[in-house]
Amino acid sequence: MINIITALQCEARPLIDHYRLRGNAKQSAFRCYQNDELRLVISGIGKLAAATATTYLASSDTQTSSGWLNPGIAGHADHAIGTPLLAHKLIDAASEQQWFPGIVIPAPCASETLTTIDRPEAEYRPGTMIDMEASGFYAAASRFQSCELIHSLKIISDNRHQGTDQITEKNTTALIHDNLSTIDAIIDELQTLAHQQNRIEKAPIESDAFMAQWHFTTYQQNQLRGLLRRWHALNLPAAPDPNNFSQLTTSKAVLKAIKEHLDRQPVHFYEANR
Amino acid sequence: MHRLIYIEEAVADHPRTKAICARFPRATKVYCKHYGEVFNRKGQNFRLQKQNPALILAHKHKNHVLNAPDGYGIGGQRNYYFSHMLNCLYDCRYCFLQGMYRSANYVIFVNYEDFQQAIVDTAREHPDEALWFFSGYDCDSLAYEPVTNFTDEFLPTFSQLPNANLELRTKSLQIRTLLNTEPFDNCIVAYSFTPAALSQALEHGVPSVEKRIEAMVKLQQHGWRLGLRFDPMIYQEGFEKDYQQLFEQLFSRLPAESIHSVSLGTLRTPKAFHQNMVNLYPEEKLFAGRFDEQRGMITYAKELEEQMTHFCYDQLMQYIPQSLFFACTPPE
Ligand code: SF4
Repeated sequence: MINIITALQCEARPLIDHYRLRGNAKQSAFRCYQNDELRLVISGIGKLAAATATTYLASSDTQTSSGWLNPGIAGHADHAIGTPLLAHKLIDAASEQQWFPGIVIPAPCASETLTTIDRPEAEYRPGTMIDMEASGFYAAASRFQSCELIHSLKIISDNRHQGTDQITEKNTTALIHDNLSTIDAIIDELQTLAHQQNRIEKAPIESDAFMAQWHFTTYQQNQLRGLLRRWHALNLPAAPDPNNFSQLTTSKAVLKAIKEHLDRQPVHFYEANR
Repeated sequence: MHRLIYIEEAVADHPRTKAICARFPRATKVYCKHYGEVFNRKGQNFRLQKQNPALILAHKHKNHVLNAPDGYGIGGQRNYYFSHMLNCLYDCRYCFLQGMYRSANYVIFVNYEDFQQAIVDTAREHPDEALWFFSGYDCDSLAYEPVTNFTDEFLPTFSQLPNANLELRTKSLQIRTLLNTEPFDNCIVAYSFTPAALSQALEHGVPSVEKRIEAMVKLQQHGWRLGLRFDPMIYQEGFEKDYQQLFEQLFSRLPAESIHSVSLGTLRTPKAFHQNMVNLYPEEKLFAGRFDEQRGMITYAKELEEQMTHFCYDQLMQYIPQSLFFACTPPE
């Protein structure tokens, strides 16, 4: 799953059209759109709104790993209008807090520092993009997800030569629309990473069958998942089957029996192991 | 090729920072106050980062030389390690670094002179004793040589300190500087090995056993003294044959007189690191076998450890005198 937070409807519009996202009428706190792979929330302006919308989306995310993207427009003193830039360093101007999203994906564009300000400023800050949401988005998303899966992608909307007064809803939509291929490439890469992680983190398929037969405490459920993962890692010929332990009456005895079974298994690395 | 190079503001103008950055002209430079902001923060995934690690250039402020952990030495009474680099180019599935660090990014501390001074000071504190300094604890000593220039920078320090022995511990073929340097007695180039099949399965990105042997032969011909490290020994069913073959392969190519020391230790990882490693690679066969906990370390079952150690020790004694052998297992 990819979760997308935009500040404005005009930033979201090209994405809603491109990904054929449908409005989700059940969600009333924010305007939400989604398809099977993507969810988009329009947060409104400001870092607080962005953080709230991010948390709102995270609270209903059922995946252990999802990609998070905050596409939008930003100013920069020197970069040309329409340039897409990933944020490699985020600064919250008010608190001076900093974050460093790890760029593991082969990003299709250059990267830049991004500073989030609370109020519009008359002058551009040197060497950084400027926006009003990213620090809120990042601070919230990084509570739920590792940093490699969270990115802000900004399209330069104003600079020293063409100021904020010339930004309109129409040209904002056009800026996002013109960079859909870049956004798409990043979403693709994030999706690949998130899928990889979900495959790794997924509970073994037999966990439910074991839990249906015996009562496992939360701690024991973790133990069970760990043992079943070991079982699969060993490539044993027979899959774990609760029926083979049906004579045991307690979850503790089941865990012990699985562990003893696994401890007796030979380990050999000759088959391909990656 | 690194996409990003994080640079501590304090070392932005350091000549070594500039030289390293010049090797990556297309990398974007990102400045930070302290490398820990990037390297140590929570919410990072080592496995994901390992796909495309960034480089971090930093200044090491203190603890340039540290006491080596128990079991790390090769017969010396005073054992130290120093780490000009954190993390490794290679990706050995048993490597404790992946359990110890939150980040897979490479950190290079560019203030080599402070490490060198600390080494000189430590050696002078104990003028009548033989000291050992290990450089391959938090990284492979040689693997990133083209970028770090480590041997070129550090060999002269040791060549002038007769009571300070240096162990370069490596699996790398980056031996050009060593082959261009006059060998001296107090430097050992120690190569780590697991049998070829295990290496293929578990030591991702590491040069083959055969290639490492070729590198050792060249070093020996040039006059460097060599170490052999079978630490960790990795278990698989029929390990006897694997290790027997490995020893045969090694000692048929390396003259016994070129060997300075041989050490042996079974797989052991601090419990917390082991759990992190299992969480990162739950599908990994290495972690799926039987392990026990002994004194805060996750190890193979004691009887298996003993079986492996005795077998390999007996085999090694066919090739080397007992005086060259050192066990890596920490004292009980
Ligand atoms: S070569 Fe050594 S330091 Fe590098 S990954 Fe392998 S075990 Fe770790």
